[in-house]
Amino acid sequence: MFDRRFYLHLDWPLVAAMYALCVVGVLMIYSTTGDAASAAKARLFLVQIYAILIGTAAFVICLSVDYRSLADRAHVLYAILIGILVYVLVFGVVRGGGRRWIPLPLFNLQLQPSEFVKLALAILLARLFAANQTRLLSTGNLLAGGLLTGVPLLLIMAQPDLGTALTLVPVLLGIAYLAGMRLRVAGVLLALAIVTAPIVWNYGLKDYQKARVVTFLDPWRDPRGKGYQQIQAQITVGAGGLWGQGFRKGTQGQLSFLPVSHNDFIFSVLAEEHGFVGVLGVLGLYLFIVARSLDTARRARDRLGTYLVVGVLSSFTFQVLYNISMSAGLAPVKGLPLPLMSYGGSSLIATLAGFGLILNVRMRRFTN
Amino acid sequence: MVTGTADGRRRTSLRLTVFSVVVSVCFGALGVSFWYIQVLNNQTYREMAEANTERRLPLRAPRGILFDRKDRVLVENRDAYTISILREHSENLEQTMQLVAAATGVAESRVRDTVARHMSTPRYQPIVVIEDASLAQVAAVLARRLDRELPGVVVQRVPTRRYPSGGLAAHLLGYVSEISEAQMASGKLASGSMVGQSGIEKAYNKPLMGTDGERRVMVNNVGREITALAELPPVEGHRIRLTIDYDLQQAAEDAFRVSGYSGAAVVLDPRNGEILALASVPSYDPNAFAAGIDPATWKQLTSDRLRPLQNRATQGRYSPGSTFKVVVATAALEEGIITPDFKVTCHGGAIFFNRFFQCHLKSGHGTVDLRHAIEQSCNTYFYTVGNMVGIDKIHKWAEVLGLAGKTGIDLPNEAESIVPSPQWKRARTGERWYSGDTISVAIGQGLVSVTPLALALTYATVANGGHRMTPRMVRAVDDGSGWKTVPPADAGVGPALKPETVAALHDGLYLVVNGNGTGGRARLIGYDVAGKTGTAQVISLQGARQAAGRTDMDLRDHGWFAFFAPRDNPEVAGVVFAEHALHGSYAAPLARHIIETYFASKAGRPLPVLAPPAPVPVKAAAQGVAGQDRPH
Repeated sequence: MFDRRFYLHLDWPLVAAMYALCVVGVLMIYSTTGDAASAAKARLFLVQIYAILIGTAAFVICLSVDYRSLADRAHVLYAILIGILVYVLVFGVVRGGGRRWIPLPLFNLQLQPSEFVKLALAILLARLFAANQTRLLSTGNLLAGGLLTGVPLLLIMAQPDLGTALTLVPVLLGIAYLAGMRLRVAGVLLALAIVTAPIVWNYGLKDYQKARVVTFLDPWRDPRGKGYQQIQAQITVGAGGLWGQGFRKGTQGQLSFLPVSHNDFIFSVLAEEHGFVGVLGVLGLYLFIVARSLDTARRARDRLGTYLVVGVLSSFTFQVLYNISMSAGLAPVKGLPLPLMSYGGSSLIATLAGFGLILNVRMRRFTN
Repeated sequence: MVTGTADGRRRTSLRLTVFSVVVSVCFGALGVSFWYIQVLNNQTYREMAEANTERRLPLRAPRGILFDRKDRVLVENRDAYTISILREHSENLEQTMQLVAAATGVAESRVRDTVARHMSTPRYQPIVVIEDASLAQVAAVLARRLDRELPGVVVQRVPTRRYPSGGLAAHLLGYVSEISEAQMASGKLASGSMVGQSGIEKAYNKPLMGTDGERRVMVNNVGREITALAELPPVEGHRIRLTIDYDLQQAAEDAFRVSGYSGAAVVLDPRNGEILALASVPSYDPNAFAAGIDPATWKQLTSDRLRPLQNRATQGRYSPGSTFKVVVATAALEEGIITPDFKVTCHGGAIFFNRFFQCHLKSGHGTVDLRHAIEQSCNTYFYTVGNMVGIDKIHKWAEVLGLAGKTGIDLPNEAESIVPSPQWKRARTGERWYSGDTISVAIGQGLVSVTPLALALTYATVANGGHRMTPRMVRAVDDGSGWKTVPPADAGVGPALKPETVAALHDGLYLVVNGNGTGGRARLIGYDVAGKTGTAQVISLQGARQAAGRTDMDLRDHGWFAFFAPRDNPEVAGVVFAEHALHGSYAAPLARHIIETYFASKAGRPLPVLAPPAPVPVKAAAQGVAGQDRPH
């Protein structure tokens, strides 16, 4: 399984970019929490390093098993994860207002299973749509895909964790688009979204969620309350300037004006301390990763591989774009981590595992 | 791609290209956005970030210390603790106000009112809600703040005014309190500044205030100080050495306290116009204002019938009564209308313009010259002379001596003393001047109304031979580089009186005290006190009948005693004004105590101590009003 060919066909530049981002993330976590008053908080960067190691193991595993044999068992993976989601809803650990976590006795870590669902979903949908032999994606297939996405989506929303739930949607849309979803269908979906928006607004959203949208449009309405994070995020980014304030010198992040700076707002801290130059560097790395992955999708040996890569990549790209927009106050504040950089073991492990799948497809592009 | 049709392959490839283009555009848009925020608007956001972390805490400058003429401290500063709310850091202002009120035991409405009044000030400026917090209040707040319950609350140590002698000289020293909206509008002073509201504190507020300093600190998101960035120390206000003599001021106030009268006393040096004592009784404690007066005390002070906040010496106006006779005498002598030997025979009154004007002595003074007319305060003599001189010349010489208008003392809100002229009466009442008006004015009644300060100045002018000085309160100022003597505003104005005039007046006034006159109670062997009593009618005889329901005390006439000493080369002059003292002779012993203290202090002898005199029987007073009690 691990012969020289695989080693040669591994996309080393992508791996390098991926780990570079992980290292930048650890540095930023260290910057914001390194001298925190509480010892537990001051060790967060070490925890992140452990997570990278575990993630690397997950990466290697996902790389090793042929994605086609994985796809053959996709329904099993999917069913197991749905089961875990139900388990979490009933027995999960409550933290920060949501029941999202299951304790992992081995590493003294808590895992967030919802992060892994998108991988299982990507594999399952890729298999489903790849099996379709017609030229265009059939409505039946699309409905089936929608159903498979909808079940975990609702389960995660029930935790409640709207942010993570939404990351499942790009998986479906990305694969469906590649699989030949009619643009007319996309148009209908868009129209449907616009028509149902007022209904969702009135009945679907909780008050705090509505407040977030209203606040996003006018954060100065409540600068010390609901608009605080958005305003502070923008100040943090803006204060960075061209070259930044220097490592551990940014006042916004260092003096805790920006909340959860090591987590959801890690990019703001990067922007403050390393300026526009640092921002361009990191944006470049992400873009490079996306470009290399798309190249993999193009070269994949079969449609299954293409769809799998696009499914994982869509979710990843969506999260990156959303989080970075949010970190500059350009999108409503949502609890979505920045893949590879934000503090958080589950996200990191799941992301690395996802890239294991992508590189899996690339590595096996010549095999039969 | 191995499987799938060529058509399908093309489509997949096309869609992957679309995907990559869309993603690239998104990344490009993000790059442009960050360029816009970070590079183009860097200045704006950098300032906002600094505003987050930088806190400017004002350091209040200690006000200048006030000394008496012998460098005894009259007003100083002490450390007080203020409790303020920093709106910027208080996440929930409502809750912060509630917690502060609960922790300190102050009424919530009061905290709320204070904050509401300062809502327009910049957010970073702390709003002082408790000006002079007790240690228990400070401890309560500090203990809570450690719990992070009150991140928007600041405790600061600030220098606060302290008046070590309490109410002593309160009216002349004045008091400080927080700047009012109106004062803020007229000046460049910041909200929350403590400014002088009366007396010396107000008149010299600017040099006394000094320059506030500032401390720039870096704070974190809960307002805790991380590091000090810079500190600009405050500059203490100028120190001022007043002309006041603490001993004399004390003596004047003691005299009132022991006698039980309300009133005023002004003592000055006739040689240079320096005010040695300026008292107004009853007084108040200016310490109560320094740390923010509580509403109950304020209400009590403003509703008190005795009006303790009024400075009677410079703002109260009363009929001078017989003390005015020196003005008439001066006018008559200087205008050459009479000589000191001019004689009038008194039969207990005289008829002018078909109306009988009575003298206080019904049996009459007989034939008196000017000296004896002053000694015995003969009304008939001055009716006659006043009538000869005429109102215009009386007004003119009142001005020359310093009795009409303002004296120009360096205290705020001095009232204008009124010695009427026909023009003044027409402008004021629309009526023409009647000849009979002059007769009343000649004995200091009718439309004449003067402040104790103006009358004191008049006697100082008489004492020094006609040099009208501008009374002044400040001897020297120390702006931090050593004491600098303040030159007088003027060297004394007005023509010197003729020596014969001065001699006659001095003789007459000497006799009042040392001869057969009404001022015997002010006599001091060896010091040649000269003076004049005066009685100011509180109400007319007709009025007395209408003023039903008031206490006897209220109806009693006021007593004046104006003086200088010694007769030759006077070095101290002044007045005592005793409210409802019935008669000027009851004011004389107060003056005596002041003069005695002056000479004892000058010679370095132990200062005299007053024994409380027997109180004036109230019954007799009531009868006095109902009977024939005319001005002496």
